[in-house]
Amino acid sequence: MAGGELLPNEGGGVNSLEHANWFMRALFFTLSAVIVASVLSAQRGRAMFIRRIPGLSAIEEAVGRATEMGKPIFFSPGIDGIGITTLQALAILSYIVRLAAARVTRVLVALRDSTVLPIAEETVREAYDAAGRPEDYRPEDVRFVSDEQFAYALGSVGMMAREQTATHFLFGGFYAEALILTENGRALGALQVAGCPDPVQIPFFIATCDYVVIGDEYYAASAYLTREPTLTGSLVGQDLGKAVLVALIVTGIVMATVLGGATPIVAALLGKGG
Amino acid sequence: MRWLGPQQATTPLVQHILLALLASGALLYLLHRFLGPRGRRALIVVVTFLFGLFFGLEYFLPVRTKTLWPTGLPNTGGSAGNLLTPGIEPMSNILAVIGAFTVGLGVYSLVQVHGRNVLRRRPGWHNSLAFFISFLAMFGFGLWQYSLHLPEPLPPTLTPLQAFANNGYEFLFRGLYAPLQAATFSLLAFYIASAAYRAFRIRTTDAGLMMAAAFVVMLGQVPIGAWLTRGLPNEGVIALLRLENLGDWVMRWLNSPAQRGIALGVAIGALAMSLRVWLSLERGTFFAEQK
Repeated sequence: MAGGELLPNEGGGVNSLEHANWFMRALFFTLSAVIVASVLSAQRGRAMFIRRIPGLSAIEEAVGRATEMGKPIFFSPGIDGIGITTLQALAILSYIVRLAAARVTRVLVALRDSTVLPIAEETVREAYDAAGRPEDYRPEDVRFVSDEQFAYALGSVGMMAREQTATHFLFGGFYAEALILTENGRALGALQVAGCPDPVQIPFFIATCDYVVIGDEYYAASAYLTREPTLTGSLVGQDLGKAVLVALIVTGIVMATVLGGATPIVAALLGKGG
Repeated sequence: MRWLGPQQATTPLVQHILLALLASGALLYLLHRFLGPRGRRALIVVVTFLFGLFFGLEYFLPVRTKTLWPTGLPNTGGSAGNLLTPGIEPMSNILAVIGAFTVGLGVYSLVQVHGRNVLRRRPGWHNSLAFFISFLAMFGFGLWQYSLHLPEPLPPTLTPLQAFANNGYEFLFRGLYAPLQAATFSLLAFYIASAAYRAFRIRTTDAGLMMAAAFVVMLGQVPIGAWLTRGLPNEGVIALLRLENLGDWVMRWLNSPAQRGIALGVAIGALAMSLRVWLSLERGTFFAEQK
């Protein structure tokens, strides 16, 4: 395709959100290479340090609280459909169910998106199997509540109140329903641990939950909880990727200060895709 | 098939739907019958990789296509693209169809949970009965009203049955469902107030700083803030101390950089997670356990 021309209706360029420009290609492959290199390095046995993340460390304590009280745990993977955020929430769910199953504690899962239902069911079933207690798996504990945002919120609050849940985990994509869930959970006296990658929702969780996983800590969860080399390597790769971005930002600041804002280099970086 | 409507109820479409359902059912049966857990896992790994590769390549491949499609790209609505772009719409349709199948699973889950509550007369079983009544009423009136294909605006004369179907649907949807939704949303105002009260209690230095920042930002947003500092000049360094300017400064120079910092971290985290899912490295149901 090299040497081909742009179509006449393209207006001389392409939206860079639809197709990458050269800078996006270079950045994506650099960051991906950094992450994959860290994964390979960790798999070869290189020791990697992960700082303590209080919100994730609290998961075991929160599961233990429900066990001591003899009450179930409530888990919500948010209201997003299948995507990276929800898949991470399901990975956390898998860890929580294993912990809870080993301590004979029920985990109730409330879902808003029906596409998540079969995956969540399979996740919970396999976690019970992995914990060596397949007979404790109850299909009705993984429930589709409603695909409407507020109906889901109220249905979940109903579950909390009826089952008198002792611990609430909210990991995933949350929006306006977050406060309805956590304020009612607080009124019930539950210990609440929440995590959301969206900076807009984090303040609401901080105001109402006992522990909160903030920003990119959310995507560090599976590595932090399992300490598996591949995941730990990926986590260190994330941090190296952030260092690359910080270096780019500093370079940009220096360039903008010395050369002025509208230089040809900046224009090329922000150029259209194609 | 009258409910499909005059345009959709053409024989080829019905045949295609039935054939697709039969083929999907047969494929699912064969996969379930002949693939063990390891085979299913391998299939998921391969499909995940191929779909990820397709969408990734579509984004990254250069847009140089005039030699391939001189008259414009098919399936793109006239937008630009590359070799793979025409496949985006069919791929998205496949995902939408798979998603539509899971609606049935959702309904099955609801019927299973609430049906058990009613049959075993568990505490609160009448709530589950209310679910069945509401579900059947909404489903019935919704389908009935849709099957009538009434024009908008409604004609002045409707038969009694048409009026009953339309009024029933309107009552359930606009008269009951929409106000309930709005009432729930309005509850948020009270929840925000109680959460803010708890967050702003000054017990630590951090909470004190947050309270001070919130106080400045909130006052900066309302006329009384501007009125309180109206004596300060509009120009020069002192102007920054006017509450509306100070609130704006906090949002622009303290809040925005912090939000962007978090957003950058989240973006890199999402990229790493995407790579793990795409390459099936993530621990979880459909990804092989690490040894």
